[in-house]
Amino acid sequence: MKDFLLGLAFIAAGAIVYVVAQGFPTMPSLQYGPSLFPSLIGGGFMIGGLILAISRVGALKGIGHGMTWRMEREQLRNTLLSLLPALAIVFYILTSEWLGALLSLALIMFVLMLARRTSPLLALGVSLVAALVIDLLFSRYLLIPLPEGLLGVWG
Amino acid sequence: MDAFLQGLALVFNFQTLLVIFGAAIFGVFVGAVPGLTATMAVALLVPITFYMDPTPAIAAIVTTSAMAIFAGDIPGTYLNIPGTPASAAYVGESHQLARQGRARETLGTNLVCSIFGGLFGTLVLVFVSPSLAEVALKFSSFEYFWLALLGLSCSIFISIGSKTKAFLSLLVGLLLSTVGLDMMSGAPRFTFGIPDLMAGINFIPVMIGMFALNELMMFYSSSNEGRNVPAVHKDKVFGSVPKHLKHYWRNLLRGSSTGTLIGALPGAGADIAAWISYAMGKSRSKNREAYGTGHIEGIVDASSANNSGISGAWVPALVFGIPGDSITAIVIGVLYMKGMNPGPTIFMDGGGLVYALFTVFFIANLIMLPIGYIAIRSAKVFILTPRKILMPIILCFCIVGAFAINNAITDVWIMLIIGLVAYILARNDFPMAPAILGLVLGGTLENNFMSSMLKSNGDLLSFFSRPISASLGAMVILIWFLPLFIRLYRRYRGAPQSSRTP
Repeated sequence: MKDFLLGLAFIAAGAIVYVVAQGFPTMPSLQYGPSLFPSLIGGGFMIGGLILAISRVGALKGIGHGMTWRMEREQLRNTLLSLLPALAIVFYILTSEWLGALLSLALIMFVLMLARRTSPLLALGVSLVAALVIDLLFSRYLLIPLPEGLLGVWG
Repeated sequence: MDAFLQGLALVFNFQTLLVIFGAAIFGVFVGAVPGLTATMAVALLVPITFYMDPTPAIAAIVTTSAMAIFAGDIPGTYLNIPGTPASAAYVGESHQLARQGRARETLGTNLVCSIFGGLFGTLVLVFVSPSLAEVALKFSSFEYFWLALLGLSCSIFISIGSKTKAFLSLLVGLLLSTVGLDMMSGAPRFTFGIPDLMAGINFIPVMIGMFALNELMMFYSSSNEGRNVPAVHKDKVFGSVPKHLKHYWRNLLRGSSTGTLIGALPGAGADIAAWISYAMGKSRSKNREAYGTGHIEGIVDASSANNSGISGAWVPALVFGIPGDSITAIVIGVLYMKGMNPGPTIFMDGGGLVYALFTVFFIANLIMLPIGYIAIRSAKVFILTPRKILMPIILCFCIVGAFAINNAITDVWIMLIIGLVAYILARNDFPMAPAILGLVLGGTLENNFMSSMLKSNGDLLSFFSRPISASLGAMVILIWFLPLFIRLYRRYRGAPQSSRTP
């Protein structure tokens, strides 16, 4: 089932890549322009996606009737949990400028540790120390300009 | 001789040796914690090595990967969970031995085999690559086009599981490689008006997304922490190693040579080397029935193979700039960023650098003996490290590491998007190695194709007009049709006896 949908997704992506590639400029002096490779890749996506989708059609027929779209509760919970790291990254991107890297990172680690039922005190301690170490390593030792945010204001 | 001494001086200084030592400890740790792979270790290391000199940077990567591949066997033996995918082939075997109370003996044998395999691969690297490089000096864009295509084709052909999925995964990597300004015309492709994308997608955020963020998401989607170390083992680490080696020296040599060869094939790394040599060892063994019940013979084959594969993968990477596995793919990205182009010229004008690299390989494999021994003795520490605390810290390293390359938040976005895509694909059994190979080799493939076409006025047949180029082309075509031939051969073999012609 998933393979069928992924196959369709690849076909759609291939079509988009192909269409976008046709818009790339061509040069009269070159037989093969910048659109050649992207077009080939788009075509490959469509062919591969088609094969993937077709190979799963047989399996689809059997379950087509009794299929339910309702997900198991645990499965839903796990899917949501798997998105946690991604959400954490979005949080960092949005907040690091004014919270500062140090605080954002510490917050992310604290929440993620709690999500897996770490004791709050331990989570707090470890995330503060780890955030300090990461911040020192990158901004003092490797001289990466990590955003200082609120802490920068205090000096 | 001068270059050789220069190379030694590059390695035997306090900073480099300290880096090697640190990398060894880091490698043991990452390898021994289940769910953290050797490739992930290297991807996390890259932002830090980015700011080092070439020699310590390479030393850190070599040592980390070699140590992590060995250390992956520690949780494999105790918990039946492979620490890295390269141990997956024989975890069943080593866990059975652990249940018989022979965990340390198994790991000791394993360690010695890993070291032997690594040194074997290194010797091949030292002796084969300079002469290969002389051949490679004669190559032009035609040959490099075929070589890149050969590497990409191998990565699909050798992948385990669906070839369609491997093909699609490869295309994803190739598509990523086309982002940015086109080499020939200067036209922007797939940049969506974002200035940071003009120079192309940076490797490192992609690697971190693909190998680290992906694994993190896998961890959060599964709810079992699953760890209890059942028995306390008091057997000797190296006690029965000489006996085993005397008994199975053929397996040791066979595993190491198979591993080096498979490692040198583009797209196939330590994990595939371990699977194939385990299967080979089993089919050649006198006690085939003993396999799967805790038989040390299979471990000798496979554990020497995965470490020799790590060294073998460097042969095509250094000589042709075609990575042998995903770790060397990362290394090639690093070398390019440091302005050193991997390829035959590294052997000619690199000064001491090549010798430094070779020396690093020897040291990295030798340092495994003491550090591996300590790791085996203190195995419990790694196994009991709670991942629920470790994983959030790794996530933060990912974020800062991706940011650090260009000091650009765009790279953090790239890591996030690639990580999400990789997660969806990996959950559905798409292999990741072809994608990373596609990203690394995409540019090589396209640029060499375009410059060949410029030289020959767009005549496609010119790809077959030079002898080396023609034979490489023939090899590529052969690989494409190999699955078809194998299927025909099987059908032919399966046909009734009477229809068989002599």
